[in-house]
Amino acid sequence: MPVKISTRNIFKNYGAVEALKGVSVDVHEGEIHAICGDNGAGKSTFIKILAGVEQPDRGEIVVDGKPVHFDSPHASLTAGIATIHQDLAVAPEMTIYQNIFMGAELTRNVLGLRLLDKPAMRRAAVGYMAQLNPSITDMNAKVNELSGGQRQAVAISRALRWNADTVILDEPTAALGVRETEQVLDLVRSLKASGKTVILISHAMQDVAAVADRISILRTGKNQIDLEGGDLTADNLSHYILSGTGDRFH
Amino acid sequence: MKKLIETYGTALAGLALFVFLAIFANNFLSTANLFNVLKQVSFLSILAFGFTFALITSELDLAFANLCSLSAVVIGFLISSDVAWPVAVAAGIATGLFGGLLNGFLVTVLKVPSLISTLGTASIANGLAFMITGGVAFVGRWDQNFLYLGRGKIGSVPVIILFTLAILAVVLVLSTQTRLGVHLQATGENEEAARRSGIDTRKAKMIGLALSGLGAGVTAMFLVANLSSAAPQMAGDFMLNGIAATLLGMTMFTPAKPNILGTFVGALIIVMLSNGLVLLGAQYYIQDIMLGIIIIVSVAVSASVLKRAAFAL
Ligand SMILES: Nc1ncnc2c1ncn2[C@@H]1O[C@H](COP(=O)(O)OP(=O)(O)OP(=O)(O)O)[C@@H](O)[C@H]1O
Ligand SMILES: [Mg+2]
Repeated sequence: MPVKISTRNIFKNYGAVEALKGVSVDVHEGEIHAICGDNGAGKSTFIKILAGVEQPDRGEIVVDGKPVHFDSPHASLTAGIATIHQDLAVAPEMTIYQNIFMGAELTRNVLGLRLLDKPAMRRAAVGYMAQLNPSITDMNAKVNELSGGQRQAVAISRALRWNADTVILDEPTAALGVRETEQVLDLVRSLKASGKTVILISHAMQDVAAVADRISILRTGKNQIDLEGGDLTADNLSHYILSGTGDRFH
Repeated sequence: MKKLIETYGTALAGLALFVFLAIFANNFLSTANLFNVLKQVSFLSILAFGFTFALITSELDLAFANLCSLSAVVIGFLISSDVAWPVAVAAGIATGLFGGLLNGFLVTVLKVPSLISTLGTASIANGLAFMITGGVAFVGRWDQNFLYLGRGKIGSVPVIILFTLAILAVVLVLSTQTRLGVHLQATGENEEAARRSGIDTRKAKMIGLALSGLGAGVTAMFLVANLSSAAPQMAGDFMLNGIAATLLGMTMFTPAKPNILGTFVGALIIVMLSNGLVLLGAQYYIQDIMLGIIIIVSVAVSASVLKRAAFAL
């Protein structure tokens, strides 16, 4: 598979904190690429740079063979990358459907004016949510009336709404129960089945082992180890993260 | 039930106020008085629509009333210098719009919190208005066509009321039925979420504050045409009234959120109240006390966005 997104030597400091110290990762088209590492390893920072939320101090991002500069989240979205952030970034006082369609609202023509098509958005929102959490049917409910897991479903639905080539999920199952986690993993697999590229950040090694085609392990701002998925177990992965070496575990 | 009261309670209280004044205030129901009330509502609501748009994006505009006075003075100055009235009106509206854009620039580019930056531009606008007039008012020779905007009638209905209803319809659709409207709202509700969803939040805040300036310019046109004079501070009273109408509006329809329809009904209630107090023979200072109470109580019951805007320092 060709390389979809490639980063070269990405550096990022927050004041005196060196969050990223040269991350170079190749994400192949149509694969599920997991990024693992301890707390504070720089995973979310790396994702924010791919999403245009933060700008790197140095380094290069190449999408489909072309160098890109994401100066805003809008730029990343229009390049076909949709991101679900670890902190979800929902607007709690707005409704489910408004959150799902935020920035990408559906419109219809009324007497020559482009007006919001709220019924269509509500209907489509039910469809997105049903893939993750079929129990929620009132799309007019405010997001602050939802549980943590339900909010996560809203954030994931919003990313799906963009119909992007690449979907990035930063800790999508952190707040989820067993059944909901399984639903998200199914969704990740179905994204792959429909030809999309997925970048998955997770601390849940069994999830990573279950779905990932390729794994990059970050450690203090560098990608220390790059692995092929397939025959890895959760224990193998934990060992790599803890030991920080690429030696095969015996 | 609780939800119904939350949504329509204030509007119902407004209706009760109307019935009360109809029964107890002499003359309240006379056609002349009712049209007078609606005329005052026109000035107040157009101004307050602008303030509402700024507040929807979580920014406070404390300059709108002084910008309105400045725009009025610009119109008066140009007309009394024999400039064609449409040109003078265009310049006056442009003055308001420019003031709003300046506020937007200060907030989004220079990152001066709106509470402070608009306080600054309010003072600048006030100074400029006095500078242009030399402290006195422009009165006298005005084109009849221009005065028609503020004084004309169709049948017995003042045209300004019809203009206001048309403006209400446009801004209502803009704020609730367009992508721009939800982008303004999303920016005010959670700026970072809006930005990450691809919305240009700086542009949204710029537009919110620019609309506030535009409202000031448009109101200035109607005020000058109605009074056939232009003076610095002529819109001064609209400052607290406009804020009160908007905040009272936040207790209606979409509770805790600034909204155009709420602002309009808020303006209706506040003008009715002032009018009724006069008719009932209350002392002039009672109005200020009522306004203060309305502002405080409205914020206490509803205003999360307002608190965000005011404390985003
Ligand atoms: N906005 C910020 N300002 C200052 N420092 C930050 C900021 N964001 C992240 N950091 C720091 O950068 C480093 C990397 O953080 P990051 O959030 O990328 O880690 P992570 O791998 O996602 O961790 P976790 O598994 O806990 O989500 C940490 O040391 C963190 O404290
Ligand atoms: Mg993280």
